[in-house]
Amino acid sequence: MRTELGPEALQYGQVVRDALGSAGGDEVAQLAAAEPGQREVIAAALGKIGTWDLDPRSGPDELEAAAAACRSAGWWAAPYPVTERIARPRDLDADALVVVSDTHRAAAVGGLDLRLATIDLHGNRALATAGPLDGEPRYSGFVAELKLAPLDVIGTADAALGLVLGCWTLLGMLDRAMALTKNYVLAREQFGRPLAAFQAVQFQLTDAEVERAGADELAKHALWSVQTGRDDVLEDALALRLATVEAAETVFRIAHQLHGAIGFCDETTLSWVSRYSQPLRRLPLGLSATRDHLTRLLGRRGLTELFNGAY
Amino acid sequence: MDFDMGENVAALRTGLRQLVKEHIPEDFLGAFTEDPADLETAQRFCRILADQGLLCIAWPERWGGRDASVWEQTAVREEMWAHHEPRGAQYMGVNWVGPVIMRHGTAEQQRRHLPPIARGEVIWCQGFSEPDAGSDLASLRTAAVRDGDGWWVSGQKIWTSYAPIAQWCFLLTRTSRAGRKQHGLTVFLVPMSDPAIEVRPIASMIGPYHLNETFINELRVTEADVLGTVDEGWSLVQEVLAYERVGIARYARCDRLLQWAPSALADSWDRLPDELRIRWARMLVHCRRARLLAYRVVATQEAGRVYPADAASYRIAVTRLDQESADVLIEMVEAIPPVGPDAIRFKAAVQDHWRYSRTATVASGSIEMQRILLARALLAVS
Repeated sequence: MRTELGPEALQYGQVVRDALGSAGGDEVAQLAAAEPGQREVIAAALGKIGTWDLDPRSGPDELEAAAAACRSAGWWAAPYPVTERIARPRDLDADALVVVSDTHRAAAVGGLDLRLATIDLHGNRALATAGPLDGEPRYSGFVAELKLAPLDVIGTADAALGLVLGCWTLLGMLDRAMALTKNYVLAREQFGRPLAAFQAVQFQLTDAEVERAGADELAKHALWSVQTGRDDVLEDALALRLATVEAAETVFRIAHQLHGAIGFCDETTLSWVSRYSQPLRRLPLGLSATRDHLTRLLGRRGLTELFNGAY
Repeated sequence: MDFDMGENVAALRTGLRQLVKEHIPEDFLGAFTEDPADLETAQRFCRILADQGLLCIAWPERWGGRDASVWEQTAVREEMWAHHEPRGAQYMGVNWVGPVIMRHGTAEQQRRHLPPIARGEVIWCQGFSEPDAGSDLASLRTAAVRDGDGWWVSGQKIWTSYAPIAQWCFLLTRTSRAGRKQHGLTVFLVPMSDPAIEVRPIASMIGPYHLNETFINELRVTEADVLGTVDEGWSLVQEVLAYERVGIARYARCDRLLQWAPSALADSWDRLPDELRIRWARMLVHCRRARLLAYRVVATQEAGRVYPADAASYRIAVTRLDQESADVLIEMVEAIPPVGPDAIRFKAAVQDHWRYSRTATVASGSIEMQRILLARALLAVS
């Protein structure tokens, strides 16, 4: 049993976090909303440290490094399709792989000069072009509709990889929301005491932390499933997505509640992490659609756990 | 990453399932029912486990164990709880009474107590909670008053699980009122057969033996009955809680029942409301989540580290899972009448799970205490 990422992956994750911090950190999220071209500083910063050379399909080391990189991108709410670029298919002339649903082909990839490929949850691949941004980026998080040109049908492993790496990015956002909220309730005083001294506040924070911690463990398990090519890797990926999107609902609801009004303001990092988390939580499948899809996949078989088929 | 526990653990798990299949009736719902045969089944099963060195698998070989790895111990916890804990009350002696006696008992106490526990011949109960000392255990009042070469103990304990069938009690008493309330507590190992101890069962929704009052009236104890050091029993209590860090593998029973549902309900499964099947799938994910949170604690334990926040997160997640999964399952079995023996057994198991799950967020440290522990670690506030 090894339930943690390897030290090299963790170290690389820190390198990515430092590089994005040096490239502007939290400011990039805000600047990019006004000037979308600012996002290229992210591409450049990660290019310098070899992120776009990672091949998550090549073996456990690069897969774990990719996951750690996605988590660090999530920490800064980097408004750039880091996950999609890392997951790009090696056999196609494409810069990024987007996982799409049957019902809504869209992703936070608008306004960038990238050659896009897509894969759906049945393994259908397509080349894609992004339409115009779907509203103001400060509200929409750079989401654009995609126009698909169908290509071929492969297995669902790539869809699972894309879903899992996307959850690692969302997990980084949950890490950040928790860190911001902890700092806030320790610093902010009301009734002569820090908010953190109130048990009502403490208990909300613990509920959020249990959700975050659970998603963290499932993220590692699903990564292992991708790494070992388990037959039910797509189910594992959807199970992770279900728990991570649920966790996001709890964590961001509580983070906003405990920040109060200041948490909605542009000057507060939480507001940017919160709004840029939206596309990851809604696309390719929102929470209900994720639950629905997983339930259909499981049928009567159940999830592969201790007593699957052996009750 | 590697989430494979390895061949040894898989073989152990297979062996345990085989033993359960051979020796435990299909409709067994735990040792503590209205039918005395269930208690006998558990006692017999414990002796079978003991003969194979499986009862005290974590113990050193010299005391009848196998020096098992933490992952083997995990598999035993999971398999036993999943099958309605066929060890009955033995887990208490095996999991923490024995280990604490190994670390702090005198040679005589070890000789007297460890072999019967290892053979599955003795039941222990835990004399901790009192009417006015629940989560705030250090406020307990049961007093041991020094008199010559011993003490006279008087007081009342409550919620004392297994007290009517236990031979021994791990009794926490107050021996001094000087200093902090955590100081001045002493553990005595006392026989439940002493006439100074009276047990009154409390009827409850979870069946017999679980909840009892224990009245102690002028119980005579001596230095030979003291475990560890006089007035320093609180450190033993902390150690007990540390042994219980991972606690019950509640997720394993939830998983077994959830996985059993589609075949038990047979054709009725397809007539369930879609939403119920969706909630079922969600609970399976939450089972995995709780299991992995438990493994995080076990992995750090294996590395010799202790993070109380991890254990608290796990216990919050798993106790909530216990209740939520029971709510889903009970709705399933009530939606459509069961048809056939498998469905009837399943329904009985689900009803038992539902009743017992109500206690999950209260027993062995309430969920509020776990939140307090987690908050302390997260925020470093006290």
